[in-house]
Amino acid sequence: MLEIKNLHVKIADEDTEILKGVDLTIPKGEVHAIMGPNGSGKSTLSYVIAGKEDYDVTKGSITWNGEDITGMEPDERAAAGIFLAFQYPIEIPGVATMTFLRTSLNAVRKARGEDELSTPDFMRVVREKAKELDIKDDKLKRPLNVGFSGGEKKRQEILQMSLLEPSLCVLDETDSGLDIDAVKIVSEGVNALRGPDRAMLVITHYQRLLNYIVPDKVHVLADGKIVRSGGKELALELEQSGYAGFGEAAA
Amino acid sequence: MSQEARKTKAEQGFADQLEAAQETLPGTSDWALELRATGRHAYLSAGLPHRRVEEWKYTDLRTLVREAYPPAPTLGVALTGDDIAAVLGEHMAAIDAYRIVIVDGQLRTELSDMDALGTDGEINSLAEALDAPSAWVKDALGAVNPPESDPVAALNMALMTGGVAVRLADGACPDKALHIVHVHAAQTASHIATRNLLVIGERANATVIESYVATSQVPAQRSVVTEAAIGKGARLTHVKYQNEADETVHLSSWMMRLEAEATYAGFQFSTGAAVARNQAFVRFAGEGAVSHVNGAVMLRGKQHNDTTMVIDHAVPGCESREHFKAVIDDDARAINQCKAIVQPHAQKSDGHQMAQALLLSETAEFDSKPELEIFADDVVCGHGSTSGQVDDELLFYLRSRGIPEAQARALLVAAFVGEVVEKIEDEPVREALLGASRAWLGARELEQ
Repeated sequence: MLEIKNLHVKIADEDTEILKGVDLTIPKGEVHAIMGPNGSGKSTLSYVIAGKEDYDVTKGSITWNGEDITGMEPDERAAAGIFLAFQYPIEIPGVATMTFLRTSLNAVRKARGEDELSTPDFMRVVREKAKELDIKDDKLKRPLNVGFSGGEKKRQEILQMSLLEPSLCVLDETDSGLDIDAVKIVSEGVNALRGPDRAMLVITHYQRLLNYIVPDKVHVLADGKIVRSGGKELALELEQSGYAGFGEAAA
Repeated sequence: MSQEARKTKAEQGFADQLEAAQETLPGTSDWALELRATGRHAYLSAGLPHRRVEEWKYTDLRTLVREAYPPAPTLGVALTGDDIAAVLGEHMAAIDAYRIVIVDGQLRTELSDMDALGTDGEINSLAEALDAPSAWVKDALGAVNPPESDPVAALNMALMTGGVAVRLADGACPDKALHIVHVHAAQTASHIATRNLLVIGERANATVIESYVATSQVPAQRSVVTEAAIGKGARLTHVKYQNEADETVHLSSWMMRLEAEATYAGFQFSTGAAVARNQAFVRFAGEGAVSHVNGAVMLRGKQHNDTTMVIDHAVPGCESREHFKAVIDDDARAINQCKAIVQPHAQKSDGHQMAQALLLSETAEFDSKPELEIFADDVVCGHGSTSGQVDDELLFYLRSRGIPEAQARALLVAAFVGEVVEKIEDEPVREALLGASRAWLGARELEQ
């Protein structure tokens, strides 16, 4: 279970407070969506859960399965089962996708006290999962994400997620920049990972994604706070009314 | 007498050596004696290059070279083939190649595949060639693409003791690479001057690797010249691997001349020595030729490494590319100077250079000086240079995927270097240098 209590976050070396007391609980097996206007702090929340150093937690806590993770390194969080699918996946020239996947998977397995996968086993697992996401073999040989389209990058994120088998998946604007076919493929990949032992946090600006990844709960984040929570129908309501009531009209 | 003209201790030391060595150096032919005299005079009139010589502004040999070491003892250190493999390291030794071994400037025929080329050409001892030169050696040695004024190359000409003169016949394509291994083994501080000559026939295709390694940990001063005359339509892949004792001074010059439609793919990989200067002079002598000279240096401690290139588009329609990468840690310093000259009639020249540095510490230094001298009006030429630290965004991305920080950093450094090493088409050589770069990082866990 993910429990965020009264979370206050500012940008490191600056005074600007971005999150101003977020409270959020996601039990295992549930998918929650966070929606909100631009600049409300959605991406910050995802980065803080993953452990990015650019932010300081000034108050409050984030606990995952009862353990406070705010002092943990990003790689320790990954080993603890936390995975962030990036809004803008990073291109890494010079690192072949296969090499990266293998290094990542083995690092996580090692940290979790599991054996490293043998090369044939690793190749088989990657090929299988890549096929489900319609990722071609040649993309696995190329440097990570270099020259990939937006949709291809997002599929790589989901491939990594399915390989690392995290217990908490945070998806940051996974639908941004994707056409409808790509949204469908990515959503199918995400839905395949839904399960009783896995919690998911889906961050999105638009309701569209939630037609494909249907959430158990929807929260609205505005100006650094959760201002409203409800069922999946809340997303549809926001689609109708927009974020006008949550501060965006003033911008 | 101005202060400039006063000789430093090292300058005087080399001058004395020039006098004393004449009796002992190989080369009794008039031709060889004349070559040596030319080198001697050029060195004596210029002295060691210093910071007021523009080409040497970052590498002042008057300050960096304190004394002249005596020539390496000619009574060679005993080495076996296994010793050579060990000093090359697992990655370079793994390259399946014909091997030529030169120890402290002396060719070791018993460790060398002197007959490797068979009907494809010949491999000769430089020392023997200086005594009794063939016509092709006489035509080429010292004449392939001599820089206008270079006291360091001149000193090499005056003091060279050994090396090989290799001729590849027209159309020859040897089945394996030729690996010239220069070993420093002397147990006393020594000056070692070697020269290799490569004459590549028309349409021939060869890979030549030069390794500079050391079994000795005492300092050396290495003077290195390789000349390559690349015939019409020929292709030469030329790789240098340099990893020597900590206190060594390594002064190297490559001089290349490309005939029409020739292709030259050069690569310099440098990690060792206190001071290293890797020069490359490339001249296009025939139209439609292509030259790519890339390189990577990985430095730490107080190492000083200077890569200086001059690419001369002397004829129209040639393509030149230079891509250089430096990984610099601690107080080390890397320099990249690259000058492309396009002569007035050399229209349709296409040149591009890029120098990039990754600084791993606050005190690491990178000096980059691109130069374009363009006298023709219908050309495409460009240059770029970047320097920066390991990207925090990339680091976070890798760490968020469970990769611990030290390993993630090593992966990114390896990737930075890998980007240019990957351009080497010869797979075993490419893999060897990727391995060598990972070995430098000491990150065994990166070996997949």
